[in-house]
Amino acid sequence: MGSNDELKSEALLELMKQHLNTDAGKAIVEKIGLVYQINIAPQKIGFNEVIYTIDFKKGEVKKGAYEGGKADAIFSFKDEDFVKIALGKMNPQIAFMRGAMKIKGSLSAATKFTPDIFPKPSKM
Amino acid sequence: MAMRELVTGGAACAVPGSSSSSNPFGNLANALLNSSAKGQDLKELPSSLPTSSEAQFYPEAHGPQLPGSEFDQPYVQPGTQSSDFLRNFNSVGGGNGLLESAWDEVQGSHPPPMHGPQVLYDRGAAAQLQPTTLDGPPQRVLSSFLHSFVESSRGGIPFRPTQLPVLGLSAGDKQCIRDRSSIMARHFFADKSEDFINGQVNALLCSLDIDGEANSKGPLPARFRELEGYWNESQAIQKPGAHATDGWVTEFSQHRVDRGDPNVWAHSFEQQHGANGWASEFEQEQSQMMSADHMRGGNMASLAAMEQTRMLANTLAQNEDPKFQKSRFLQFVSKMSRGELIIDDNQVKQATSSAAGDWAGEYQQQYNAGSNWANEYQHGEVEISRANQWANEFGSEQEQHGSVDDQWVNQFSKLHVDDWAEEFGNQVGEGILGDSSADSWANAYDEFLNEQVASKQRLDSSRGVYVFSDMNPYVGHPNPLKEGQDMFHKGLLSEAVLALEAEVLKNPDNAEGWRLLGIAHAENDDDQQAIAAMMRAQEADPTNLEVLLALGVSHTNELEQSAALKYLYGWLRNHPKYGVLARPELSDSLYYADVARTFNEAAQMSPEDADVHIVLGVLYNLSREYDKAIESFRTALKLKPQDYSLWNKLGATQANSVQSADAILAYQQALDLKPNYVRAWANMGISYANQGMYEDSIRYYVRALTMNPKADNGWQYLRISLSCASRSDMLEACDSRNLDILLKEFPL
Repeated sequence: MGSNDELKSEALLELMKQHLNTDAGKAIVEKIGLVYQINIAPQKIGFNEVIYTIDFKKGEVKKGAYEGGKADAIFSFKDEDFVKIALGKMNPQIAFMRGAMKIKGSLSAATKFTPDIFPKPSKM
Repeated sequence: MAMRELVTGGAACAVPGSSSSSNPFGNLANALLNSSAKGQDLKELPSSLPTSSEAQFYPEAHGPQLPGSEFDQPYVQPGTQSSDFLRNFNSVGGGNGLLESAWDEVQGSHPPPMHGPQVLYDRGAAAQLQPTTLDGPPQRVLSSFLHSFVESSRGGIPFRPTQLPVLGLSAGDKQCIRDRSSIMARHFFADKSEDFINGQVNALLCSLDIDGEANSKGPLPARFRELEGYWNESQAIQKPGAHATDGWVTEFSQHRVDRGDPNVWAHSFEQQHGANGWASEFEQEQSQMMSADHMRGGNMASLAAMEQTRMLANTLAQNEDPKFQKSRFLQFVSKMSRGELIIDDNQVKQATSSAAGDWAGEYQQQYNAGSNWANEYQHGEVEISRANQWANEFGSEQEQHGSVDDQWVNQFSKLHVDDWAEEFGNQVGEGILGDSSADSWANAYDEFLNEQVASKQRLDSSRGVYVFSDMNPYVGHPNPLKEGQDMFHKGLLSEAVLALEAEVLKNPDNAEGWRLLGIAHAENDDDQQAIAAMMRAQEADPTNLEVLLALGVSHTNELEQSAALKYLYGWLRNHPKYGVLARPELSDSLYYADVARTFNEAAQMSPEDADVHIVLGVLYNLSREYDKAIESFRTALKLKPQDYSLWNKLGATQANSVQSADAILAYQQALDLKPNYVRAWANMGISYANQGMYEDSIRYYVRALTMNPKADNGWQYLRISLSCASRSDMLEACDSRNLDILLKEFPL
């Protein structure tokens, strides 16, 4: 970590990355079986986005766009809103209605994007 | 509890600068209710834990391992439970049960037994005539006087004015007594006429030399009549002692405290709902007829939008699910399609005169919509649970100073309704979403409204503004800091929070009060509040090392890297020993690597200082070098094996580096040392959930929530675990935060 304005989401996605290697993580991979691309913007959707791919086919989290074809669904959020959704503070459907989450691709694939697929960080 | 909360509204009533006598009613109520409230507090003691835990915990609590400064107060044995505070209250409340039985009678909503009055009258009169009770310090005179007032309520006998010595009440005191006695009386005498109640209150106020009319605009009864109607209704429907009633009363009193003047309430109601109300709608329509000319010039853009939404509404309406049909979301869309709401300047507004087209048909539609609204309103009135919801919703909307509808509508308009509607319509049309999805969309919208309701509070806390509890029984307490410290030592974190809040309300510059409050919140698993409190502590004492470290930890928990780094570096810079290592040029632009290097230097300088290793461990968490972090915490634990918060830090680090099984062992150590450590219980839940053991995680979350139901995080995580464990049957209990049900279903 070199800079101070690292995204909060990065911590969660890092945890996710490791989590997908555990037994519980593998169960989730099996259940979802889709590829999500996540565009995270520090302040405003569409600006300075950092792109991640969560591959629930292979069980991987990578920085950058999906290289194996077309992602099943592409989400765009602000950093803060992604954290809220991943931690169960905000319902994804509500986020969508508010415009806090934008979706491209299959809506049915998007409906599997729920807080329970994310591991929760523990607090010191 | 409702009664206690009603009369102890405290904070809003306290007169700055005056002594505790500013809160005589609060003291009285505390005194009277103390016995029952006390019983509840005690349940929070670690009774269900192994008996040895107390022995382990209490000596430890006074040991040097406590986070932060030590306290030199004599140690109170847990068994005695008699801090000065409580003893005082018990002694004041000689007639302890009085208020409660009065309350029970009121709840019973039938007239008091007829044999009562004579006996009770005697008691009441005796209380008034006892010469001793009306002597002594003003506080005691006032107290016994108020007792006799409460007593008079039992028999429903008229309260007689009486001569009292000069009490020296300030104008603020008087206003406080006037306001509260008016409210109290209405609960005591719920079955009596307004005249009787006024007589009672006036007699009380007259004796205290308080001008009953001075402050009230017009007679009180008129202001409260409507609300009293609700109250009586709820009395009639709810069985005595039902929780919902209490909740409503609490709710009511909260909003009343917020608003102060019911007129404002009524006024806002008109503001918010008047425009939607069918009556004004009707008037609007009439004026539209008058200005038919204007309609010709109707805005073409809004026509197009109407067309769009009309299509959407049709698509949605084809879904026959009755739940969806009734949903407010659909109603909103239909409203748009009928032109009741228009999009103007990318903002959704109420249609005024621009709506074009066949006004007659539209009038009909709107008229229907109006009666819907009226029906719904009526429905809400009859069904008390609905009324509750309505009251809640309305109350919270109030707090936002703006209508939720408007906000939502604004949000909605930002979505580029056209695209969205089209896309949504298509997908629904293609049946992609399936039947159940429609439900979940409708639910989602309802949830969205609820979320809006909570958003203001969250906004405040995320901005670092400390949010005080609404009803705090410790306001007016002579020494809330000591009380808070005692509570904290006993592990009663939620009570400690209340006492410490009272302290910092009294002395806003008390760094120690804020600091301990922050620690209590952190241990109670509420980092937002912890940060807010710690920031105030830092304002009062900018160089306090414990405060700086606590801020660093809390910001790390909240994933706020740069803020965390700033405070951790501040710890180093202000440290008497390591301050020399800090390079002044760093403080402007902090880079993690530089900070870490400096801390490593400090650790080499004095490897026996556990604190350096702790800060270093937090720093490594920040950079997600978990192995190094674990090593640092282990080193620190060798030096401070009794520090429960250190065990929890180790556990959390292990959990975040996907070593959940090890983490659970560490949390267990923390809980052995401090059984009421809410954060460790919640972390246990997280570790089980992350291992896919959802049933177990539920038990730990529920356990944590019984100790601090205010921890929103816990509720959210519990909800997720419930769905994952296929226990959707318990979601309702979770959403309504019904711990009784949850605890019964998921004992630990």
